[in-house]
Amino acid sequence: MPPGALSGERDVREAYAAHAGELYGFAVRSLGDAGLAEEAVQETFLRAWRAGERFDPEIGSLRTWLFAILRNVVIDFGRARAVRPRVAESGVEPAVEPIDEALLGWQIEEAMRRIGEQHRQVLLETYYKGRPYAEVAADLGVPEGTVKSRVYYGLRALRVALEEIGYDG
Amino acid sequence: MTAERCREWRELLGAYALDRLPVGERAGLEAHLEGCAECRAELDSLAGVARLMPLADPGRFETAPSPPAALGDRVLAAVESERRASERESRGRRRWRLGLALSGVAAATAALAIFVLAGSGGEGAPEREVAFHSLPPRMEIETTLVPHSFGTEIHVYVSGVRSGTLCRVFLRDDAGRRSSAGSFRYRWGEDSEAVLTSALDLSNAAAVGIQVGRQTFEAGV
Repeated sequence: MPPGALSGERDVREAYAAHAGELYGFAVRSLGDAGLAEEAVQETFLRAWRAGERFDPEIGSLRTWLFAILRNVVIDFGRARAVRPRVAESGVEPAVEPIDEALLGWQIEEAMRRIGEQHRQVLLETYYKGRPYAEVAADLGVPEGTVKSRVYYGLRALRVALEEIGYDG
Repeated sequence: MTAERCREWRELLGAYALDRLPVGERAGLEAHLEGCAECRAELDSLAGVARLMPLADPGRFETAPSPPAALGDRVLAAVESERRASERESRGRRRWRLGLALSGVAAATAALAIFVLAGSGGEGAPEREVAFHSLPPRMEIETTLVPHSFGTEIHVYVSGVRSGTLCRVFLRDDAGRRSSAGSFRYRWGEDSEAVLTSALDLSNAAAVGIQVGRQTFEAGV
């Protein structure tokens, strides 16, 4: 049994303590239902435990491996439910699978939660709410140049946070 | 281009990457980017992040949902129950294979059995699993003793010894007398279980023993 494999109860307990929060967050994000998300997390740890011997820390982290399993679980759960009629609606194939789009979206949201409040605030106001820099600057009582530089340092912080949670694109 | 001068331009790169830089400032920045490879590289890496931003839902920036406290216990319970189920299953498979092997033995001894007085043996009494402790590392021996009117049927499971090793199995009674149950050779990679029979009644057996090569191990019944 290679080191790091989920062979015993203690391994499962430790893996759960370290990663269940993030896995659950992504499961809720992609399944849109707290009950289903719980089932998906449970199924993920069961599959991980069954395949514990196949986990190789030389190839990737336990976290990455668990996310790969959860991704498959979410796809299986999604198949069991009605498939979203994305293609029929727009007439165009989506560029990425909905599941991967959900994963990328979740990664940005998770990264946003990790960066500083000031950075998150300017990105939210100027980008997501589309408000002019001057208006946001007046609200915050800072020069407009400060808002621009916070957007820059906010994006940099976001990039670092994304790398921390495994985004390598 | 001094680092200080780059810093001023760089602080506009975020707004530029998000396509929110006013037209008036854009021309100057683009002229700088023409001549500065470092700032272009920085823009590229920010643009990668900027491309993902439309996928996020800003309603989820404040708090992440956290799993209910009971989920951890449920996950552990699910793993534990599956572990038990798979253990039972593998034990069941072993029994089943042993059962097939035994049917041959039973047929051969049936003729003998009819001459044995009813009630003298332990037919119908529960079988017993006997574990061997203090074995060398990696070696395993498990036995199951099944009482019959003709004696005791002994299922032996061995692992962790050299392929081809001769194993002699016996029962020992209270007085220390050995009653042989026969022998088998352990073959690695093949069925590592053997079914043997000793004439000693299980109710009179004090220990089951196995001589593996030159070593002898005994376990109390």
